[in-house]
Amino acid sequence: MNKKKAQTALMIAAAAIFAAAAAVSVYQLRRTKPNTVKIISDGKVLYTLDLSRESDREIIVEYEGRRNVIVIENHDIYVREADCPDHTCIKMGKLSQSSTQIVCLPNKLMIRRAYSSEESGTDGTA
Amino acid sequence: MTVLKANCQKRRKTVRMSCIGKDRTNGALCKLTVLLIYSIQLKTDGDSLLKKTICLIAVAAVLTSCGNYSADEQVSQTIFAMDTYMTVTAYTDGCGTEKASAAVSECLDEIARLDKLWNVNDAQSDFARINGGGKATVSADTAELISFALDMNEKTGGALDITLLPVLREWGFTTGEYRVPDDDTLAALRENIGSDKVTLSGNTVSVQKGTMITPGAVAKGITGDIVSEIMRKNGVSSAMIDLGGNIQTVGKKPGGSYWKIGLKDPRGQGIFGTVEISDMAVVTSGGYERYFEQDGAAYWHILDPKTGRPAQSGIISATVIGGEGSLCDALSTAFFVMGEQQTEDYWRRSGGFDFVLVTDDDRVIISEGIKDRYTSNGLYGEPEVICFE
Repeated sequence: MNKKKAQTALMIAAAAIFAAAAAVSVYQLRRTKPNTVKIISDGKVLYTLDLSRESDREIIVEYEGRRNVIVIENHDIYVREADCPDHTCIKMGKLSQSSTQIVCLPNKLMIRRAYSSEESGTDGTA
Repeated sequence: MTVLKANCQKRRKTVRMSCIGKDRTNGALCKLTVLLIYSIQLKTDGDSLLKKTICLIAVAAVLTSCGNYSADEQVSQTIFAMDTYMTVTAYTDGCGTEKASAAVSECLDEIARLDKLWNVNDAQSDFARINGGGKATVSADTAELISFALDMNEKTGGALDITLLPVLREWGFTTGEYRVPDDDTLAALRENIGSDKVTLSGNTVSVQKGTMITPGAVAKGITGDIVSEIMRKNGVSSAMIDLGGNIQTVGKKPGGSYWKIGLKDPRGQGIFGTVEISDMAVVTSGGYERYFEQDGAAYWHILDPKTGRPAQSGIISATVIGGEGSLCDALSTAFFVMGEQQTEDYWRRSGGFDFVLVTDDDRVIISEGIKDRYTSNGLYGEPEVICFE
């Protein structure tokens, strides 16, 4: 009798853990998706940032004495200043959900989304 | 007791492994299933309470830890080459981390080697030696590239041309110091344009005086083919090669679904649609890649060899989807120059690939073969589908 009681208790405990686990799974599936970007200079990854957790700040990246000022604002990232002739990277604006990268060719700088199909919906852009 | 612990540990590990490589939804489902099996086991076997509790805790631990695993196990590296960032990613599914890593480093070494051979600004490169001396014996890779480019020049009626380097320089597209050349300058430079001014004999290339060649229009496509082959040779069955907008894939995604490739909106930052592919390349040529504005007009880097000026064919973005990156690269550039009608004619004549065009009056035109794998996001409306007649 005692053993059976213990068994029942255990089953209830198992059910409780199961329910809790199910709740955790649902929570994990529904929580804010990470928005991970990498800042790469001359092929080297300088920063890996989850924009959904970043607070507003500036990052300055230098390459052979030339600099790009990268701004994180409101969980978005963009290039504000660059001392290159064409300023393409500034014109590209914010790295949006659908575009995959901001590039400054003269300064060999790239800001790109960490590849993940769940985050951007696509595996690449051509 | 010790034995039991080891057992639980082992099971836990197995569960973890099975969670890797699937997306999060599947991961969660797999966790729940495992838990269910454990619950049933607990009910049926008559082991001690302690044992059951330990197993339960182990399961709970697995359940909470699994969710933190990233979606797919991959080895990925980025390199700056051919004036762009290139990212090579091999998935370990089916080949293991060691082989995937070996494949990725071999790919990067190869990209660096080709970049050195084909960089027109490096005096030691094959192209600089041809352009500097008018004649040079080059590597087999370079000879093959030139042979392919000359062949494509003929097939596209001159729309793809590797002799545009002096004109591109005059416009400033090679340096970023842009300017609009005057008519006389362009007329003089046009004299040296034309693939008939390039001769390939074995591995020896010669160009007529004043003619200079650049691999720009085909280099990334050919690199994609070479890199894909390295992946396959190393046993990698799933890989994504992103050569600065040139996409080439090996196999399908881990898990067996198609790669979903976004197509860049030529008028904005986002994408206008997607194509789903496996084992194929997707290459887009668009004016947005490199351009400048002067007096209200936009000038882009894809030049019409007939005029020496930015191509005005009515197409603002040309994507080619096919098995060979080299062909896709060459044709996307050629179609941007050739325009809508000639592109359709070419496709009907030769086949073996598909295309997606965006016109300057905001229409999207696709070929029949990609119809079921193209999805519009509504930006340019539903596409016109071109069929074989």
